[in-house]
Amino acid sequence: MEGIFAIWQRDLLKFFRDRARLFGSFTMPILFLLIFGGGMSGSMETMMASNMPEGGEGFNYVEFVFPGIVSMTLLMTSIFSAMSVIEDKDFGYMKEILVSPISRVHIAVGKMFGAATVATIQGMILFLLIPLLGLSYQLTALIQVIPFMFLLACALSALGLLFASFIRSTQGFQLTVQILVMPMIFLSGALFPVNNMPTWMDIIVKINPVTYGVDVMKKIMIDIENAQAAVLDAMGLNITVWGREVTIVEEILFIAGFATILVLFATLSFKRANA
Amino acid sequence: MESIISVRKLTKSYKNVKAVKAIDFEVEKGEIFGFLGPNGAGKSTTINMICTMLKPTSGDIVINGYDATEEKDAVRASIGIIFQENTLDEKLTANENLLLHCRFYHVPKEQREKRIHEVLEIVDLVDERYRRVETFSGGMKRRLEIARGLLHYPKVLFLDEPTVGLDPQTRAHLWEYILKLKEKEGITMFLTTHYLDEAEISDRVAIMDQGEIIAIDSPTALKDQLGGDMIELKTEDNEQTLKEIEEKIEEAEVTVDGDTIHLKVASSDAFISTFMQNFTIPITTLNIRKPSLNDVFLAFTGRKIAEAAKE
Repeated sequence: MEGIFAIWQRDLLKFFRDRARLFGSFTMPILFLLIFGGGMSGSMETMMASNMPEGGEGFNYVEFVFPGIVSMTLLMTSIFSAMSVIEDKDFGYMKEILVSPISRVHIAVGKMFGAATVATIQGMILFLLIPLLGLSYQLTALIQVIPFMFLLACALSALGLLFASFIRSTQGFQLTVQILVMPMIFLSGALFPVNNMPTWMDIIVKINPVTYGVDVMKKIMIDIENAQAAVLDAMGLNITVWGREVTIVEEILFIAGFATILVLFATLSFKRANA
Repeated sequence: MESIISVRKLTKSYKNVKAVKAIDFEVEKGEIFGFLGPNGAGKSTTINMICTMLKPTSGDIVINGYDATEEKDAVRASIGIIFQENTLDEKLTANENLLLHCRFYHVPKEQREKRIHEVLEIVDLVDERYRRVETFSGGMKRRLEIARGLLHYPKVLFLDEPTVGLDPQTRAHLWEYILKLKEKEGITMFLTTHYLDEAEISDRVAIMDQGEIIAIDSPTALKDQLGGDMIELKTEDNEQTLKEIEEKIEEAEVTVDGDTIHLKVASSDAFISTFMQNFTIPITTLNIRKPSLNDVFLAFTGRKIAEAAKE
């Protein structure tokens, strides 16, 4: 266990020490929030209103998109933090780790926790913007959502680790991951509802772990009990798989399973590695 | 002597190349074991297998009583490795690098402070403990790596080309540290180097070439096998000289390389006195030297180490 802790601690230490990265990590999500929250809310709300019987009174786009932007931040930070594995190989440090008696699973898990913690911290920084955006989430909801954010970040970091384990250069990693990240964001319901998609896209939406992540975050943060059914419908907060609506517990289990399987695959690559 | 590493019939083959061909050797406890050979001889492959980083095709490796393919973690805990390239985290301080290493190797919490101080003292870096590694010079980084490799009290310390890229002064200094370690701590050292003169500090050396170990003994014994001293001679009339050598000195082994006559004799002292008394031809240069490991390498492989590396 100490190995996991050591690897986790190192990644965190380096995150806080890297000023440029710290600054970038603050500004990027804020930028997205400004663009999507400020710029798009008007048009999105008009569009949604035309679909709703009562003229879409209860639909607040910023409230809808905020958990989405948080998930998007988690996704990007998690995956890009996993790139530290490639950097460690380039700078030789991976050898120091691999010749030590730490179990290979602990290396992968430590790396996953490191990237996930950094991502969760960034997600939480966004919470500071809630009052500025004129939003009001319940404090208990925000506290409840943090452990879930960490779980989601773990799953996404594991995905990043898996890619980092077989891609040799940081450039190659960035390119590949960008191709992966974009559809994962757009086809997750983070920025707009993913109702009424063509079948093939719907399939991608349903296997995309971010979809469930976004859905759980929205269900926890948005006050769904007091919202109109039509608004919830329009928000797409009723994902059905095989004709059955999925529950929060199922979604959490799916994400946890996804994280476990991927981190085990990443472990295999550390096992046969001879850096 | 008790052996700390024992290698039996170790083989590594890739698709159509045999990189290591069923080699056998033992490393004794407390010795400095030099592992020499040109690039591509199979040295790195062998070391990687010993360090559990590469799976052997066949054969056995036992280190400190543990099997390197079955009990990897026990082997990893028993060895320290100083790699050819830098493997420190330069963004962290020396102290942080050392602390992480303690964690990776399960050094008990209450001993960490003492051991960090101890290893920094050995390599004279106590005052730089809280500085970031990126501000260190090349020699300091090397020393810090050696300190780190000692933190978990390894039974064997592997030094893979430890002086590559360092200036001669730093290099000499580093060897002082390494010898100090051997004397004080009695750690077994497994050393690879290209610089054959540096390998002279070894108690025993193994020479590897084309996947095989072609010689293994103490440097002195290997050089003695070559039969005495080397004499390089240039004279005004080489032909006449050669004739006279043939007539008057029987036990010399003679080769000619351009205008230089190379003589291998049992004892240079005896040779010189006979030579001076009996020869009439004026000598332009005379150079006497004891054989070096380079000569040993040349004798065993028929090539100089630099030539072999180019192949």
